[in-house]
Amino acid sequence: MASNILSYEGCNFLRQRLILAILSGRPVKIRQIRSRDDNPGLREFEASLIRLLDKVTNGTRIEINETGTTLYFQPGLLYGGQVEHDCCPERSIGYYLEVLIALAPFMKNSLKATLKGVTNDQQDPSVDALKATSIPLMKMFGIDGEGLDLKIIKRGMPPGGGGEVIFTSPVRRSLKPVQFTDPGKIKRIRGVAYSVRVSPQIANRMVDSARSILNKFIPDIYIYTDHMKGANSGKSPGFGLTLVAEMTNGSFLSSEMASNPQGQGSPILPEDLGKNCAKILLEEIYRGGCVDSINQSLALLYMTLGQQDVSKVLLGPLSPYSIEFLRHLRNFFQVMFKIETQQPEEERKGGEKVLMTCVGTGFTNLSKTIK
Amino acid sequence: MKEEKQQHKTHQKKHSGPKAERKKRKRQQEQQAGTNEEDGRKRNPKAFTVHSAVRMARTFHRTQDLKTKKHHAPIVDRSPQEPPPFLVVVVGPPRVGKSTLIRCLIKNFTKQKLTEINGPVTIVSGKKRRLTFIECGNDISTMIDLGKVADLVLMLIDASFGFEMETFEFLNICQVHGFPKIMGVLTHLDSFKNNKQLRKTKKRLKHRFWTEVYQGAKLFYLSGMVHGEYQNQEIRNLGRFISVMKFRPLVWQTSHPYVLADRMEELTDPEAVRLNVKCDRKISLYGYLRGAHLKNKSQIHIPGVGDFTVSDLSFLPDPCPLPEEQKKRALNEKERLLYAPMSGVGGLVYDKDAVYIDLGGSHAQEEPRPSAELVQSLISTHSTIDAKMAVSKVSLFSGSVALQSDELQDEEPCQENPKEETIWDPEKGRVRRRAMFADDNQEEDEDDSEEESDDDDEENEDEDDMSEEEYEVDKDNDKEVSDAEDCGPLKRRKLKQDVEIDEALAFADSNDELEKSEQESSDDDDDSILGKEDVCKNKRQIAVRDSGHCTDEELQISDEEHNNLMKQAKVSITKSESSENKDDEEMCFETAGALHWKEGLAKKAAEAFFRQQQTAPNLRKLVYGKVMDDEEEKAEEEELGGLFHVSRPKAQMRCRANGIDCSRYPVDIERDWDCEEVLDSIRDCFVTGNWDKNEDAAKLLQEDDELYGDFEDLETGEVYQGDTDKDKDQSDQEDTGGDEDEKEEEEKEKAEKNERLDKKKRLKEKFDLEYDEGESTYFDDLKGEMQRQAQLNRTEFENVDDETRVQYEGFRPGMYVRIEIESVPCEFISNFDPNYPIILGGLGNQEGSIGYLQMRVKKHRWYQRILKTRDPLILSLGWRRFQTIPLYYVEDHNGRQRLLKYTPQHMHCGAAIWGPITPQGTGFLAIQSLAGGKAGFRIAATGVVLDLNKSVTIVKKLKLIGFPYKIYKNTAFVKGMFNSILEVAKFEGAILRTVSGIRGQIKKALHTPGAFRASFEDRLLMSDVVFLRSWFPVSVPQFYNPVTSLLQPVGGKDKWTGMRTVGQLRHDLQVNLPHNKDSLYKPIIRKMRHFNPLHIPKDLQRMLPFKSKPKLQEKKGNVPKNLQRPAVIKEPHERKIASLLVALSTVHNYKKKAAKAKHHDQRKGFFRQKQGEEADKMKRQKEARKKIYKIIGQKEKKRQKSSLKGSGHKE
Repeated sequence: MASNILSYEGCNFLRQRLILAILSGRPVKIRQIRSRDDNPGLREFEASLIRLLDKVTNGTRIEINETGTTLYFQPGLLYGGQVEHDCCPERSIGYYLEVLIALAPFMKNSLKATLKGVTNDQQDPSVDALKATSIPLMKMFGIDGEGLDLKIIKRGMPPGGGGEVIFTSPVRRSLKPVQFTDPGKIKRIRGVAYSVRVSPQIANRMVDSARSILNKFIPDIYIYTDHMKGANSGKSPGFGLTLVAEMTNGSFLSSEMASNPQGQGSPILPEDLGKNCAKILLEEIYRGGCVDSINQSLALLYMTLGQQDVSKVLLGPLSPYSIEFLRHLRNFFQVMFKIETQQPEEERKGGEKVLMTCVGTGFTNLSKTIK
Repeated sequence: MKEEKQQHKTHQKKHSGPKAERKKRKRQQEQQAGTNEEDGRKRNPKAFTVHSAVRMARTFHRTQDLKTKKHHAPIVDRSPQEPPPFLVVVVGPPRVGKSTLIRCLIKNFTKQKLTEINGPVTIVSGKKRRLTFIECGNDISTMIDLGKVADLVLMLIDASFGFEMETFEFLNICQVHGFPKIMGVLTHLDSFKNNKQLRKTKKRLKHRFWTEVYQGAKLFYLSGMVHGEYQNQEIRNLGRFISVMKFRPLVWQTSHPYVLADRMEELTDPEAVRLNVKCDRKISLYGYLRGAHLKNKSQIHIPGVGDFTVSDLSFLPDPCPLPEEQKKRALNEKERLLYAPMSGVGGLVYDKDAVYIDLGGSHAQEEPRPSAELVQSLISTHSTIDAKMAVSKVSLFSGSVALQSDELQDEEPCQENPKEETIWDPEKGRVRRRAMFADDNQEEDEDDSEEESDDDDEENEDEDDMSEEEYEVDKDNDKEVSDAEDCGPLKRRKLKQDVEIDEALAFADSNDELEKSEQESSDDDDDSILGKEDVCKNKRQIAVRDSGHCTDEELQISDEEHNNLMKQAKVSITKSESSENKDDEEMCFETAGALHWKEGLAKKAAEAFFRQQQTAPNLRKLVYGKVMDDEEEKAEEEELGGLFHVSRPKAQMRCRANGIDCSRYPVDIERDWDCEEVLDSIRDCFVTGNWDKNEDAAKLLQEDDELYGDFEDLETGEVYQGDTDKDKDQSDQEDTGGDEDEKEEEEKEKAEKNERLDKKKRLKEKFDLEYDEGESTYFDDLKGEMQRQAQLNRTEFENVDDETRVQYEGFRPGMYVRIEIESVPCEFISNFDPNYPIILGGLGNQEGSIGYLQMRVKKHRWYQRILKTRDPLILSLGWRRFQTIPLYYVEDHNGRQRLLKYTPQHMHCGAAIWGPITPQGTGFLAIQSLAGGKAGFRIAATGVVLDLNKSVTIVKKLKLIGFPYKIYKNTAFVKGMFNSILEVAKFEGAILRTVSGIRGQIKKALHTPGAFRASFEDRLLMSDVVFLRSWFPVSVPQFYNPVTSLLQPVGGKDKWTGMRTVGQLRHDLQVNLPHNKDSLYKPIIRKMRHFNPLHIPKDLQRMLPFKSKPKLQEKKGNVPKNLQRPAVIKEPHERKIASLLVALSTVHNYKKKAAKAKHHDQRKGFFRQKQGEEADKMKRQKEARKKIYKIIGQKEKKRQKSSLKGSGHKE
């Protein structure tokens, strides 16, 4: 076969590259992974990710050189099925889950993945945020039905981890094109304030402080307190807050904050955390768009993989991650998005929005068996 | 396909004439009799009532069923606005008249005559339709390739011979790869002398064709040849059919982009070729893009060559465009374009960086040319393109295509062969493979005049469908043809030499009078054409236009000039980006005239720059970089020196390259969310904020209030009124003033009226919304959604210029594209044959990789042999043709896929191959070999892809055998089945069986390697053989060999041989089958069995009954001599007495026997007599008894009666 290997440098955006390599069936080579670093090569969490990808695919070939600075990844067919994976506690489950969410609809068998590790941390989108925003987004693209679910069984905070989530997703042959240009208005705000291995009062304190800010805008606020005990509470103490704003047209914006991991940094007051989280949510609302900033790339991916029809989505300002994702999409799928900036007509509707338009590649799930 | 709305002529009622009178009479009669439906309803209401509710429900149900059955799953209509030319493939066995038909059709559509046709020919056939004709050779690879891309297949059948195998093979190919439209054309009908025979043949062929395609498939008859061409009228009919035909969208074709290349150019560096003749080449292929959108750098497959990546893709102005303005008239001569670069006809050819004008070149002299006068006349009548045609390869009178009259003699009587007969045709020098069917000879006796007339009717109807314009054209056509024919071929030879001289002179010196006139006229036309094509981007093109009839030198000079100008322009607009620069230049060329294009260049460029700065968002540049300027940058780098490159450290990139991979978008600018103003900035994002005018609840409510304001509260009885003020005012006014101005009144009234109308309208809308829309079904909704999507697809990029649009959505079908491909094998160039189609099939995302495919396959019922597992097979799947090694299997009930040695005879089975990943549901066909095997039907199997995988689980049965070497009660030690303890350990618990049917289980390994203890349900014998039935996974051989038929030398393209089967290898190497000696049959020799005497223990013997006791007495041995008694020897006298006694006793015995018989008879008679008497007696007794009982019964009755009476009396 023709050698159409794509070559990249550096470890950043590894997930994007691997996702797109699998979906497009093109092998990818990544060189100079932390080659100048004191600790060169792939880290444990990246190795764990590659192992996870190996589990959900069939016929994948992975070659890593001795120092771990070069990775060659020849993708196989997505297989799916029941997968159990111990995620490295360096990164939270969200890091792995984002990959699985992107790949899940295109597998041969419907996916049931049990991921163990850190559920909430300060770096990656937490499982709560993904559950609240990514799952409804998937439904927009026609990936709905009974199978789609994300269950949080146990919570685990860094550095110990010990959380567990179960992600199940049905498979689809092709995705629907979407025209999602009007986000509507925020009708309610929901959230989860969680605390593990600390006083259950902390959750209530976070809720109160968050409400104090958000109440200025809308009265319909309900923040659940989720205090997990015993075996379900993981290995390390911690607490955090996830807020989700639901719009009238079915889109969700989220913000989240978590406490500093045990033994790192100064302890943070739950009141401050609640306030800050609420402010971040307001910031997210100011950015606006139909899709949350953490899900921009997912929406762009699903648009690209749609049928050969025009899809449109209104986004807030593009995050660096999604900008890079757009470049990668062009490399792997030769898809270019039409990017138009939109200034909201009225003053009081937040910042600049970006209207993304593209024609899908006519992707069909080849792995799915028809009988 | 886009639905084109046909303008039908409205029906015009007859007002006079017999028909009108008849109708009038009828109407009168009806009126008199009162027989129209209204009256009928009145007269007989019962006839129109509901008789049975059940029946009505049933009919309703049925109509609904029928309605739903008509629904197809709606799909988004993605057909292009301006479709590419439809591909018409002309197929048929050799010498059936394919080239002649194409030539005639081209002549019919464009009035031009091509003598030599190579490769595809594209023509404009109508105002909205273009056609590409291509001839399909008889090589099966060509047939397969063209079957995949065809829109319409013209299937030529030699009626004088009947169906040939090629026809059926092609039909099967079509069936597998989606079924394009197929039209049959019968030729060689003039060879029938007998009219009845002709009719019968027609009917027979038609019916056979129908069973193969569909009932009522169109079959055309080309009755005969006139001057080596088919009859004009028939060709015109055929042409009309083609030009109004609707084509069905095929799944594979609409989901994959593909190009049928009509031009090929080699771009390899000549130096590289000089150094190594066999180096890989770089080529560019041209053609119309069909099917789906094609993207740059995507993967394509060229059937017969291999997989490639598009290294560059660009679109060119259409060489054969549709006429621009849609006037209500037929096409004029200029618009009837013809484009066939492989045949050397193309007129102007626009390339990426050059414009080619076909000047005839070296081959112009070779062509027979008409005389100067004729040229003049041609020039005066024809347009430039046509003139160029004339220069290239058009000859008006070609006697070259001669009908071979001797062909017709080789008719052979039909035979009742079951399937195929191969016939050596000495005239044509080839073996013809006639396809015969059992039903062919049936129904011959039937008279089929009816059918014939039917067909005629159909044709007539079709003719009626055509627009009148086309009739006009046809008339013109006729005239011209007749004119041309009038000129006659007699002149030709004489004039030929003159023309040659003229030509030579003309090109040597452009000042020649004659040439000038020709050139001038051509120039004019050139201009007009160029003017039409507004996409002209080329520098040279301008030069060509400017310099009129320039020589090559002039052209070069003008070119240089032009370049200089360009440089100047560049200097003046240093800041503007080069892409804009380019655009601007283009604009200038489009609008400006010959020389004043450079006047406002700088200004315009600046304007364009600012415009772009304003409108084009920087975001795009941020994301994708300067897409357009990539090439420019490269060029700059080159300019900096062949030695040094400026390498800018991409500082940003470097630091980001190893950053943290996280999808969160951290908040960088911290706004003060405690500040009220900042809070206000998002106030309207909440439902509590202000809404838009059209969705603000308060406003909407107010509007509604105006409408529905009046209502009465039923509970309280209060009456609310919406806008009562106005009414009051009005009434007041009326009361007070009769003296007010009438004008004002009127105005007011008008306003009110309008208001009322508005209200009514809105009410009606609301009503419609509530009641009409309620009936919209799921299907309607879905369909509407699809339509909306299609509309969006059309409009989204409509106003974007092609250059940008192509980047967003890829190259859309209908464009004429140039595809550059690198590293093509040199054989493709060196063995290039334009008669073989070059197809570039676009591949989907994962279709470039290889994996295991599981397919459902069935041996073709006409293929004479069954297929063997592991015999290499050539598959045609997707775009590809490749050789692979299939393993056949069946799926058992428990899902196990069990290997088969051969395909079943009349059943589907599975096949697993190692091959290119192709979407499920794609059909494929299999051939055993391309070369040689002409015998019989060539398509070995057909099937469909079921599943793709990177591993397979096919198993075959493996029986392990072992022998018991020690037997206890139900336990036995078995050896010989395994080789080590480990192996046994792996099979612990496995189920065993012996030949005699005793079941068992492996228990544990023994110390001796390979032996194990097993327990059985019964005791084994030492002679038993123990089986272990197991399933052994089979690996599918990873053999994938694309058929590279296009790389074969010219003339040998159909002789590709890949891997040979074992059988073929044995045959070729003359190796005999290896024999297993054990498998040979030998005479059966059975040893005599020896049984040991039965030994019964003494105890048992004693207990046995005497009958069963072994008889222990010894047999009487020979009596010893001393005990033997001497024999008695009688005297003669004694002997006499003895014989007499014997005789007497014999007589006595006889007498006794006779007496006994007599006595027996007597007894019999006596018994019969006695029986009769007994029967009589019984009868008598019975009657007597009956009588007595009767009497007794009567008495009894009487007694009872009397007793009842008596008791009654008593009481």
